[in-house]
Amino acid sequence: MKTMLKISVVASALALMLIADIPLLSEQLVPEAHAILGVRRRTAVVAGATVHAADEAQISASQQQAAAANQQAAAAKQQAADAEKQAAAAKQQAAAAPPAPPPAASGKPLPLGTVVSTLPAGCTSTPVGGVDYFYCGGNFYRAAFQGSNLVYVTAQPK
Amino acid sequence: MRTWNFRMAAAMFALGVIALSAIASAEVRAQAPAVDPAATQILKRMTDYLGGLQQFSVRTHNTYEDMLASGHRVDIDLMADVIISRPNKLFAERKGDLVDQVFYYDGKTLTLYNPSDKVYAREPVPGTFEGVFKFMYQSFGFIVPVSDLVYRDAFPLLMQDVTYAVLVGKSIIGGVRCDHLLFSRPGVDFQVWVSDGGQPLPRKYVVTDTGSPALLSAISVMSDWNVAPAVADARFTFVPPQGVQQITFLPLGTGSGSGR
Repeated sequence: MKTMLKISVVASALALMLIADIPLLSEQLVPEAHAILGVRRRTAVVAGATVHAADEAQISASQQQAAAANQQAAAAKQQAADAEKQAAAAKQQAAAAPPAPPPAASGKPLPLGTVVSTLPAGCTSTPVGGVDYFYCGGNFYRAAFQGSNLVYVTAQPK
Repeated sequence: MRTWNFRMAAAMFALGVIALSAIASAEVRAQAPAVDPAATQILKRMTDYLGGLQQFSVRTHNTYEDMLASGHRVDIDLMADVIISRPNKLFAERKGDLVDQVFYYDGKTLTLYNPSDKVYAREPVPGTFEGVFKFMYQSFGFIVPVSDLVYRDAFPLLMQDVTYAVLVGKSIIGGVRCDHLLFSRPGVDFQVWVSDGGQPLPRKYVVTDTGSPALLSAISVMSDWNVAPAVADARFTFVPPQGVQQITFLPLGTGSGSGR
């Protein structure tokens, strides 16, 4: 009986080690999943915002998981949550749902170089020096590519 | 006291059995053939063949499995026509629910054109495909379409970190008999279907993200392969139509934190 007890203690310890290893393992694997030919690159190859957003949501989800498992600082979690929020916003827009009004709708000028994925409602096209700017809510926007996505950046017309 | 001890021992024994069986099953898995040379040989034959083609064109139908914010699964479809002329010319047209985009690279200048938005951006990037891919990704986060097909030496890239490879069997894709291959690497599983006679061309790719519980895949079915298309060099150079605005690529890191 004593021997059996000893064996079972050792075995359970092993079981615990196996379980304890899992979060560590997943944390190592997650970045690799997207680094190489992986889904991240492949989805990004062809698709626009939606797929990209989904991808980011996945990354942030797994980051969150890993963070929780390791009881890391809240900062990492916050970051993951931010990324997720961002991804969700992009997805909403991509899914052709009524776009959430960007901060510009409030009428406050945004810092120059702020990037939005959709123009606020009611923008008017304003050509300045051969460049089309879009004016609304106290901001001028110009179109630009971020990766392969068309975005709008607040700018000072020249 | 005696009973308690016995119960404790019994519980621990049960735990031990579970642990041992977990170890045993892990051993069984480890004994399965990890990388089947039959599968890697077919993959190598395919990448060698593609790498040796001077020109080719192909149509790809792509499906991206996605997850809505509501938690529902949705597919996003996209079609891409691609023309490659080695060493450094590429044309790709992508159309789908969310994309209407043409990509040109003539060996000197790279252009991205959104016909429906009437905007284009161009960037001078002389060099080889590999150099252009790297530059565009590192500078602008832009991923050139079909990079995988174009890399001259794709085999080591695909095989990197592969822990499992198997020849699943034969299958018919688009009326063509194919060898069905499955590869696994940490976080990613990918399947490739390769024509089993004549030209070893890829007919289908499925890439699955195994790093998240949703196991979402990107699926690409290739058709209309032409390994000797008649393509004029002008096809790879963008001539802006009337009323189209030139815009820029944002350097990586611009406007971080707002609506990507």
